Amino acid sequence: MDLSPFIAMVYRQVKRWWSARSRVITTIVNPLIWIIFLGLGWGAVFQPGSINSPSIPGIPVNVIAKTIEEYFNRLFGGVDYITFMVSGMAAMTVFMASFLGGISVIWDKQFGYLKETLVAPAPRWLVITGRIVGDSIVNTLQSLIIILLGFAITTRINPIGIPVALVYLFTTSIAFSSLGVIIALKLGSIEGFQMIVNLLTMPLMFMSGVFYPVNTMPDWMKAFAQFNPLSYSVHSVRYWLTGANVGLEYMNPTIDITILAVASIVLLSIAGWAFNKATIEE
Amino acid sequence: MEAVIVENLVKRFKDVVAVNGVSFKIVRGEIFSLLGPNGAGKTTTIHIIATILKPTSGRVMVFGHDVVREADIVRKKIGIVFQDPSLDNQLTAYDNLYVHGRLYGLRGRELEERILELLEFVDLKEYANKQVRYFSGGMKRRLELARGLMSNPEMLVLDEPTIGLDPQSRAKIWDYIRELRRKYNVTILMTTHYMDEAEELADRIAIMDHGRIIAMGTADDLKNMLGSDVIYVKFDREVPEGICKALPSLRDCRKIGADTLELLVENATKSLPEVLSNIYINGYRIVEVSYKRPTLNEVFLHLTGRELRDSLESNPITQRRGRWR
Repeated sequence: MDLSPFIAMVYRQVKRWWSARSRVITTIVNPLIWIIFLGLGWGAVFQPGSINSPSIPGIPVNVIAKTIEEYFNRLFGGVDYITFMVSGMAAMTVFMASFLGGISVIWDKQFGYLKETLVAPAPRWLVITGRIVGDSIVNTLQSLIIILLGFAITTRINPIGIPVALVYLFTTSIAFSSLGVIIALKLGSIEGFQMIVNLLTMPLMFMSGVFYPVNTMPDWMKAFAQFNPLSYSVHSVRYWLTGANVGLEYMNPTIDITILAVASIVLLSIAGWAFNKATIEE
Repeated sequence: MEAVIVENLVKRFKDVVAVNGVSFKIVRGEIFSLLGPNGAGKTTTIHIIATILKPTSGRVMVFGHDVVREADIVRKKIGIVFQDPSLDNQLTAYDNLYVHGRLYGLRGRELEERILELLEFVDLKEYANKQVRYFSGGMKRRLELARGLMSNPEMLVLDEPTIGLDPQSRAKIWDYIRELRRKYNVTILMTTHYMDEAEELADRIAIMDHGRIIAMGTADDLKNMLGSDVIYVKFDREVPEGICKALPSLRDCRKIGADTLELLVENATKSLPEVLSNIYINGYRIVEVSYKRPTLNEVFLHLTGRELRDSLESNPITQRRGRWR
C-alpha cells in the first residue's frame, strides 16, 4: 500500500498552517476570550469572599464562604472554576478548529485546488484521510498552546497528563474534522457552511460540559449530552489534565476513548465516501 | 499508434448536450488542438479524456486504455493543466510540486531532482521558495505546466493554456509548450479559442461548435477549404435570392449572416471587378466589400456563418447594462 498520497496531504495541511502562522493567533484568541471573561468572571462568583457570603448566626462568615466554595469545587470535580474551564476549553479549541478545516475544503473548491486532488491517481479515501489527519495534527497543536497558556492562569494542570490528553484531543479532531469535510462537500458556499456549522456547534458546545458540569444538567439536556461525542472528549481531557472526574456516572477514560474512536471511524468513513462521490462538474 | 481514440462521444448534462457525437484520433507525439468558441464542448471533451467526467455514451481510449474502466491507469499516463488556476496559493512553488509529486507516488531523491529540473525548465528556480500568491499570471501558468509534467506523463492536456495572459506571457508559454514537446517527447492535447494559438502550436486542429467537430486537419488543410481568396459583399438589405447564379466563375458562393455574401475565388483582385459589375447590373446596392486571404477565422465563418470573435464576446445587452451612464 503506497502511503505517498496520504503523506502529501498531511504535508500540505501542516505546511499551509505553518506558512500562515499569523492566523494561529486568531484561532487562539477566541478560546482565550472565553477563558478570560467567562472563566475569570464566573470563577469569582463560585469563590465568594467573606463580604458577599450570607451570614448565619453562630457560624463565622469565613467558614460559610469556605463551605460555599467547597460545594462548588465538588460540583466542578474538586477543582476551581477556572481550572474546570481551561481544561474544557482545550477540547473546545479542537472542536471549533475542526470545522474550520471544512471551510478550507470550500476554499479549495472555489480556488480550483480540489480538482488537483480529485484527478490524482490515488485512492480518494486515502487523500481525504491525509487531509483530515493533517488538520488534526494542526488542531491538536493549537489546543496544546491553549493548555500551555492555561499554566499562566491556573496551577492545577497536571503536566504529566498532557500527552495522554493530546491523544484524546487528536481523536476528537478526527471525528469533527470529518464532519466538517462532509458538510463542506455537500455545500458549495462558505455562507451555507457557516450557517449549518453555527446551528450545529453552539448546541453541541453547550451540551458538552465545557462551561458547566454534565451531571447537573436538566435531564433532557443530559439525554442529548450522552449522544454528543464532545461530552466524552471534554470529560476525558479534563480528567487527564486536572484529575477532575465530572460527567455522567458511566463515563470513564476507557469508555471515552472507545466512543471517540468509533465516532472518528464512522465519520471518517462517511467523509471518504462523500469525497469518493465528489465530482467537478461545473 | 494512436495516443487517443475518441469514438462517437456524447455528454449530456441535465438539459444540455455539451458534446454531441465527436470522433477523432490523436497521433503519438503531435500537438492536437480543439478550437472553438466558449461553450462549444471543448473542455467537456478533454475532461472526459482526462477521466474527470464520465461520458454519456461513446468510447474513449487513451494509450489503449478505456477512460471509464481503466481510469486509474489513464490518470497515471496524463498530466493536466486546467483552464482555471488550481495551484495552492499559500504554498511555495516547490511545495506545490512536492505535494503533486507525492500524490502521484513519487518520493525521495527522484522527486526532489524532478522538481528542481522542472523549476529550472520553466525558469522559476529562483522563486522555488516563494509563496505562489506573489506570482504573476504568467509565472503561475508556467508553474502549472511544470506540475503537469511532474509525473512524467505520456500526454499533457492543456485547457486554454494562455487564457487571460498578456501577449508577452502568451508568446513565452508557447515557447515552453514547443520546447517541452521536444524535450520530454509528450503528446499534447490542448483547447483554445485563440486562432493564432492553434495556428502557432498545433500540428492538427479540430474546429468545434455546438458540441460537434465541424472540420479537422492541419491549419493549411483548413484554410485550403476556402481556396486562395475570400470576398465578402455586404448588401443594404437581405442577400437577394439567386444572386449566386448571376455571378460567374466562382469556387463557392454562399450567404453568411442576413446581409452578407461570401465568395470563394482563385484571385480576388482579378475577380472583384467582374463580381461587382454583375451585382450592379442586377440592380442591387452594395454597402461594403472586402477580401482577404483566409485565416482560421474565415474558415470558422465559412463553416458556421458566425465570426469566432463574435461568439467570444459576451452578450451585448448585459454589457450595456453593466456600463455606468
